[in-house]
Amino acid sequence: MEKIAKSIIKFRWLIVTTVLLLTIFFGYQMKNISINSDIFSSLPDSDPAASLYKQIGEEFGGNNMGLIVLETNNVFDKEVLEHIRQITDTLKYIQGVSTVTSLTNIIDIKSTEEGIEVGKLVDEYNLPQTQEELDSLKKYIFSKDLYKGSIVSEDGTSTVIVFTLFQDVDNKSVANEIRTKILTLNLPETTHFGGMPMMLDDISNLILSDIIWLIPIVFIIIALVLFLSFRSLKGVLLPLMNTAIAIIWTLGILVMAGYELTIISNIIPVVLLAVGSAYTIHVLNSISLNKLVDRKQALISALTYIIIPVILASVTTAIGFLSFVFGSYLTMIKDFGIFTAIGTVIALILSIFFVPALISAFSMYSKTIKTDQQEKESVLSRVILKPLVNLLFKHPKYIFITWVVFIALSIGGTFLIKISVNIADYFKKDNETRISEDILQQKFGGSAPIFVLFEGDMQSPEVLETMIKTEKFMKEDQFISFTQSVADLVEQMNDAMGEGKKIPDERAKIEQLWFLLDGQDIMPQIVSDNLDRGIIQSRYGSSKSADINKYLERMNGFIQQNSTEECKITLTGMTSVYMKINDSLVNSLFSSLTIAVIMVILIVGVILKSISKGVYAAVPIIATIFLLFGCMGVFGIPLDIATVLVGSIVLGIGVDYSIHVITGFNFFMKVNNNDVASAIEKTILSSGKAVIINVLSVAAGFLVLIFSQLVPLQNFGILIAICMIGSGTGALTLLPVILILVNRKRKIIAK
Amino acid sequence: MKNKIKLGLLIALIASGSMFSANAQDANDILKKMDAVMYSPKDMTGKNKIILIDKTGKEEVREATIQQKGNNKRMFRFTSPSSQAGIAVLSLPDDVMYLYLPAFGKERRIATSAKNQNFAGTDFSYDDMESKPFAEKYTPKFVKVEGDVFVLELTPIGKSEYSKVIVGVNKTNYYPVSTEIYDKGNNKIKQAKYTFKKVGNYWNAEEIEMTDLKKNHKTKMQMSEIKYDSGLSDDDFTVRKLKQ
Repeated sequence: MEKIAKSIIKFRWLIVTTVLLLTIFFGYQMKNISINSDIFSSLPDSDPAASLYKQIGEEFGGNNMGLIVLETNNVFDKEVLEHIRQITDTLKYIQGVSTVTSLTNIIDIKSTEEGIEVGKLVDEYNLPQTQEELDSLKKYIFSKDLYKGSIVSEDGTSTVIVFTLFQDVDNKSVANEIRTKILTLNLPETTHFGGMPMMLDDISNLILSDIIWLIPIVFIIIALVLFLSFRSLKGVLLPLMNTAIAIIWTLGILVMAGYELTIISNIIPVVLLAVGSAYTIHVLNSISLNKLVDRKQALISALTYIIIPVILASVTTAIGFLSFVFGSYLTMIKDFGIFTAIGTVIALILSIFFVPALISAFSMYSKTIKTDQQEKESVLSRVILKPLVNLLFKHPKYIFITWVVFIALSIGGTFLIKISVNIADYFKKDNETRISEDILQQKFGGSAPIFVLFEGDMQSPEVLETMIKTEKFMKEDQFISFTQSVADLVEQMNDAMGEGKKIPDERAKIEQLWFLLDGQDIMPQIVSDNLDRGIIQSRYGSSKSADINKYLERMNGFIQQNSTEECKITLTGMTSVYMKINDSLVNSLFSSLTIAVIMVILIVGVILKSISKGVYAAVPIIATIFLLFGCMGVFGIPLDIATVLVGSIVLGIGVDYSIHVITGFNFFMKVNNNDVASAIEKTILSSGKAVIINVLSVAAGFLVLIFSQLVPLQNFGILIAICMIGSGTGALTLLPVILILVNRKRKIIAK
Repeated sequence: MKNKIKLGLLIALIASGSMFSANAQDANDILKKMDAVMYSPKDMTGKNKIILIDKTGKEEVREATIQQKGNNKRMFRFTSPSSQAGIAVLSLPDDVMYLYLPAFGKERRIATSAKNQNFAGTDFSYDDMESKPFAEKYTPKFVKVEGDVFVLELTPIGKSEYSKVIVGVNKTNYYPVSTEIYDKGNNKIKQAKYTFKKVGNYWNAEEIEMTDLKKNHKTKMQMSEIKYDSGLSDDDFTVRKLKQ
């Protein structure tokens, strides 16, 4: 270690220049950074539910669905109809829009005395004008299940215009164009935008504004905490500069590797700021605590002491992040794991090599050397650490029991945890998109597309019968207000031919009815070209996991009974994908946590040459994780794509505190001939300060996420802050108490 | 003498001017001549082959016999594929249309209030299929001469989903060679190519290829075994005939 430390000082100029050049290089790469807010692009292709959903989107074009709600007093008004037509036309002519369905262009099959009409519900070139025409349109629409509640709200005050985008378009720019063009129509009615493309556009914008606003705030807050702790410019500048460089490198590598920022990876800078500064803080702390008068020698000796704990701390943190790579389903979470781990290692390397090199290159040694006496009299030591040590020795059992009670309560709270994967929940309640989604859910059966795929001969009476039966079954669910399939159209056509509203029993009849349906705009959206696949389209009106679960269970039961060789039925849609993500969140939570806990125990154990010490180091952090889930349950913070990350991140960062305490303990046991009491006291007095400063700076850094405009990130920030305080307190109370109690039974001996 | 030169110059000027500006021909005139070429036969019978080509290049073929009288009575009777054999569509004046489905043994009147709907899976809308003279549907404007083609820009009279149609007319024989159809967003949405061939006294659209540019889907309508003026009567265009 000393050798490394010496070479660092020797090659200081080389190190400083290299870092500078690399920073310029990576900084230049960052100009190509782009944002991908699409959670669905993050679904692994290997997953059947996800790949079917994507495939249906490609084949039938229905899953990239956006909706515009027009709210007014009465939809059946000639001006309102004209405005619907304007919106429909505007959408139709926007590049990237695949289909538009609205009151003014929806397909309608009428059977009259005169005959049959396959055409549009209203003639867009000759919209109803007189009150009589409008009234009869209203009566007609409310007489048909296909329109009521799906295109016009049941109270007749709002209507929805549904559009789908082509699969391969730049979602964001199309959504943006749609929003701008519709708003410039300057319609008197209230317009709301909903559906996946619009939400994703909104999320991208929020991510961008979060990055622009939050990162500087995090910088300032951490700078403030650092200044209060070190009371020197160097103590503020070095950690911040170090992490800033680490962030630039990480993002540079991310861009060069061809990745995009996602709703999750946009917090990489915040995480690195909070995590990365810790290593520099420990290095600086170690340097300033060293009392050798020759400052160069002091630097080397301080480095020699600190390299191992800092490496340990960062490796465990990186493992916490890397656990996502193995334990997670969404690729965006994996990517987040990889790049935060890379960033952590970069921050580590910089704090070991770059910081000391910089200090020695520019002779930024402290002018004064604090004596032991001064150290002991710092406010922190006097007010917190000293009384803490006394308390620990006086009431170890009470402290231990307090922790046990907390953990027990937390385990109880764990059962209250809800899972939320509904993207609408990611917006704050007053967000325009969230409001739109609520309206869509209340009035139009939601914006989450669901599909039932039928593989079989689409012109066979049996297959079409099964489709009708499935639709009837689906509509028994209170959250499904309408369904649409080619079977419906065939039924209506048959009715128009005067044979009743049912599927004809002869294939020949179906084939001939098809003649009129062929070429209708709707056909490619519901049936495949070679007539071997068809879908029921619908939307699901609830985003509650319980409802979705019930729906999926019912449907799966139905499918099992009705799916045959000739007519294979498969269910997919946003709900299925949501549930998949839902389950995957729980799975990835457990697997990433398990991986992380085992790795941490092993690594700490191996380096300290004692597995039992590895276990001791892990106890406070495991307790903290229970606390975390307890808090989520009790305070109603749901498990989502961001909060699922907290456990492993906390494990990685929080275990550092225990590592510092336990390595300190080990060190002082050796120095003080295995005197546990004095070792603990010295450990807390020396490491305690760094731990507290670190807890404060990390917690403060993450708390800034409260100002994020995305709910999962707000929750993420709050939870990490709570956990930092939890694991810091654990390392300074629970861990020493365990050591005291264990020692009472069986003498601990440092190896 | 001087005057003669002046006159000669004037004539030359006028002559050359008319060569450059076909406006002298008048866009209206060209369009009317085109209508005349297309709609001059008293009646016509023939075979029609409809080839649908999707974006992957996959083809689907339908065949029908066609009978037409004047420009407003037409009978379409499908002969293949077998599932569609016997399906017949009768178009009468004033947008009256009847459909006969043999599997049901019934005819039904088809209302096409929205004439922008496509006809039976083709890329032709009912509007495109209509034999109504262009001059009655559009106001023409002369654009240019391109090789042996007059290019006209047609603006719909009355309501239409199109904003304009650019039509190319053969300079010597006045049959259309191409049309380009623009939507209200001024995007080119469809284009058609015509191949005309003289059959007897008339020019016949041997093939019309219509491409829907948005869907990337193509329809070729090919005519064969054309007979003109064989003396079809109004009785050949009745609902009773439709069911035969």
